[in-house]
Amino acid sequence: MDAPRDPQLLKGVLPMLVLALLTERESYGYELVTRLHEGGLDDLSAGTLYPVLNRLERDGQISSRLVASSAGPARKYYLPTETGAEQLRRTARAWQQLAATAERMLARATTKEPS
Amino acid sequence: MSTTVRDTLVRERYLLRFSWAMQDYPRYKPVVRELRTELTATASEVGMRQAVADLGHPRVLADAYLSELGRPVPRWTTGAVWGALAVGAVAYLAIAYGIGTLDTIGQMGGGTLERVFLGATTVFTNDDDALSVSSSLTWQVLAFYACVFTVPFLLGARVWRAWSGTPTAARAAHA
Repeated sequence: MDAPRDPQLLKGVLPMLVLALLTERESYGYELVTRLHEGGLDDLSAGTLYPVLNRLERDGQISSRLVASSAGPARKYYLPTETGAEQLRRTARAWQQLAATAERMLARATTKEPS
Repeated sequence: MSTTVRDTLVRERYLLRFSWAMQDYPRYKPVVRELRTELTATASEVGMRQAVADLGHPRVLADAYLSELGRPVPRWTTGAVWGALAVGAVAYLAIAYGIGTLDTIGQMGGGTLERVFLGATTVFTNDDDALSVSSSLTWQVLAFYACVFTVPFLLGARVWRAWSGTPTAARAAHA
């Protein structure tokens, strides 16, 4: 069983993951929640995602359009803007560097652990 | 899946509580409208109860929106509550003082008493013909009540937050 995830860790990377998923294909809010669940964030709730979508849209990193649905009311589909795409490139690079650094330090600490 | 009356009630009850918690968010009404649309659309897939449950507690959701602003915002609603409580407390004390004064006049055999506070004369009467309190109003009294409301209002609202940087500027500075 996976260890419980620190919500602060998720909060830091969620905007980047949202931008990454939307780069693959545009999605509406609840579909994005489902895609994040399928990606392994199965404890993520819609209530965590919607404020992030709101902020990304306000900052001009994603844009939205309403698409009519046969199953119910129109849905708001999101897609990264050029600013969002640039932001994704930047944060992905920073994340990879941070992850590599953390991994190196953790590996050193693990090998020094007394048996 | 169509929206039933019951679903509408569940949705609107949630949105009412959410709106209350969002009052300090700048231009929160479009956010509430958008959430209503999103809830209705999601309910057509998973049902309204599940859609609402997935959002979590309305106050926690509102806090998440506020935290995404990237800066503390003034709590105008809290300030208004503090101000109203302060005015209520002063009004309560004034009424208690008035009743106590009338009672004392009655115990002493009845009569009329005048008291002056910030230029306003208050006349307390308790005799066989009348039981009354009448008062004039001066600008000093009005200023006093305005202060009684305004000071707790501004402190409760953390008004100094209104001068913190804009969200975009704050994030840019942070980056």
